[in-house]
Amino acid sequence: MTGWLRHQKRAFIVALRHLSTQPLSTLLTALAMGVALSLPAGLYLALDNLGRLAGELPARPEISIYLAADASAAQKAALAERLKKPDIEGARFVTRDQALAALASEQGLADLAAGLAENPLPDAWIVRPRDATRDALIPLHDELAVLPGVAETQLDSAWAERLQALLAIGRTGVWLLAALFAVALAAISSNAIRAQVLARRDEILVSRLIGATDRYVRRPFLYLGAVQGLLGGFAAATVLAGAGAILRGPIEQLATLYGSAWRLHPPAAPEILALFVFTALFSWLGAWGSVMRTLRRVEGPG
Amino acid sequence: MISFSQVSKRYPGGHEALTGVDIAIAQGELIFLTGHSGAGKSTFLKLIAAIERPTRGVVSVSGQNVGRLSRRAVPYLRRNIGLVFQDHKLLFDRSAIENVVLPLDIAGVERRESMKRARAVLDKVGLLAREKANPVSLSGGEQQRLCIARALVARPALLLADEPTGNLDAGYAADIMTMFRDFHQVGTTLVISTHDDRAIAALGGRILHFDHGHIAEVNP
Ligand SMILES: Nc1ncnc2c1ncn2[C@@H]1O[C@H](COP(=O)(O)OP(=O)(O)O)[C@@H](O)[C@H]1O
Ligand SMILES: [Mg+2]
Repeated sequence: MTGWLRHQKRAFIVALRHLSTQPLSTLLTALAMGVALSLPAGLYLALDNLGRLAGELPARPEISIYLAADASAAQKAALAERLKKPDIEGARFVTRDQALAALASEQGLADLAAGLAENPLPDAWIVRPRDATRDALIPLHDELAVLPGVAETQLDSAWAERLQALLAIGRTGVWLLAALFAVALAAISSNAIRAQVLARRDEILVSRLIGATDRYVRRPFLYLGAVQGLLGGFAAATVLAGAGAILRGPIEQLATLYGSAWRLHPPAAPEILALFVFTALFSWLGAWGSVMRTLRRVEGPG
Repeated sequence: MISFSQVSKRYPGGHEALTGVDIAIAQGELIFLTGHSGAGKSTFLKLIAAIERPTRGVVSVSGQNVGRLSRRAVPYLRRNIGLVFQDHKLLFDRSAIENVVLPLDIAGVERRESMKRARAVLDKVGLLAREKANPVSLSGGEQQRLCIARALVARPALLLADEPTGNLDAGYAADIMTMFRDFHQVGTTLVISTHDDRAIAALGGRILHFDHGHIAEVNP
């Protein structure tokens, strides 16, 4: 074994020993980290599930084409012909009478419909485009809007887009929260490591007198930070697993009420791994800053 | 091996502990530092190990200007120096042998090898039977011998001891001085500060007598 590897191994063992000699503070620190982390991680999982749910809903956009009252038969025929082209998956014709009947059947609107002297609604086509992407929808919509005999058109992708926009905001929020909690994590770790360094003051001073380098002194504390972070990640995972177990029943029951077989989606292995890497890394960073500062305080400027 | 040229040390606060010290110590010498309390003996030793830095002048050890060593270089100087402290500076959170192993651990010596060497040196100072004991449970003399074992385990060419027998019974003190003589006889350079005039008389060696920060050399 090389000297470098031997030093790493020793530092790791020393770090584990330090942790195990103070089980209560180790546990409390891990808990503080875990609770702090479970917020962004939980939000991430919630959004992930929401995104999946949105993906399963029939979110295909539709284009409504309202015909002008004075549209000629030729114009109507030309429009119907246009709607048979392959960029359109299907189109449904709704006569103005059907539209009025639909309006009348809406709760609370029956009186309104009955009170009308004549039917104000136009004939309409409800069109389902084959390509639902925004880049394809807009030109199609614009083309249909200017056809002769068309009074008005409406692109009905608004709610799907709104949901996507909300999810995007949510995801940005997750990253912002994660950044904030990375700072919190580093602060928690920094504080825990500072206490450890101060508790090992004698050992550090004696080691320095008999030839310990900065790195030798620092290394166990850095491992300490990383391992403490892993324990924090583990605590966060436990908190989330607990929350998932509690929420799964009610959520799946709700889905069943809506006739859906939708199930809560647990995090994948890479996501769990990312959580641990994240906690270990930021806890290590916090330890680094703390060790440097605290050592300078313990040893003086020497 | 060690040379002081025009070395002065003034501590923050203004007290001048050493003034214009000029001295050379050759490899393999046995040196005793004597003088009243506060004369500057500990300061002299601390300058050699770069625990303190001179205010003026040059302290050189094996050709290195130790007063100018970078922070990164100091540990490597100290690994070649065995230090025996008056207050032992033992660690009470570990066994006797774990205290002795520390310098080897710091130097990155393989664990099995370092335990072997620690046992050998514990045997030499008569503490092998107590290797597992916590230093707290050792007597003052045993603690001092443990400190000496730790100073010697890495086989330094230079041993600095600050009043190693200062608070020991005469019997223990004589034992320890005899041990030092043995190390001297195998070629180690020793610089020992002491009040114990009888020990000096028994061991020979060169005496540097300190008086208010000045050295008046006294040859036996
Ligand atoms: N860290 C320090 N700060 C200020 N003054 C000190 C310090 N260490 C020693 N001194 C002073 O320097 C003088 C020499 O001290 P020291 O070298 O310890 O003498 P000795 O070891 O011979 O008793 C004393 O007057 C002491 O008070
Ligand atoms: Mg002294």
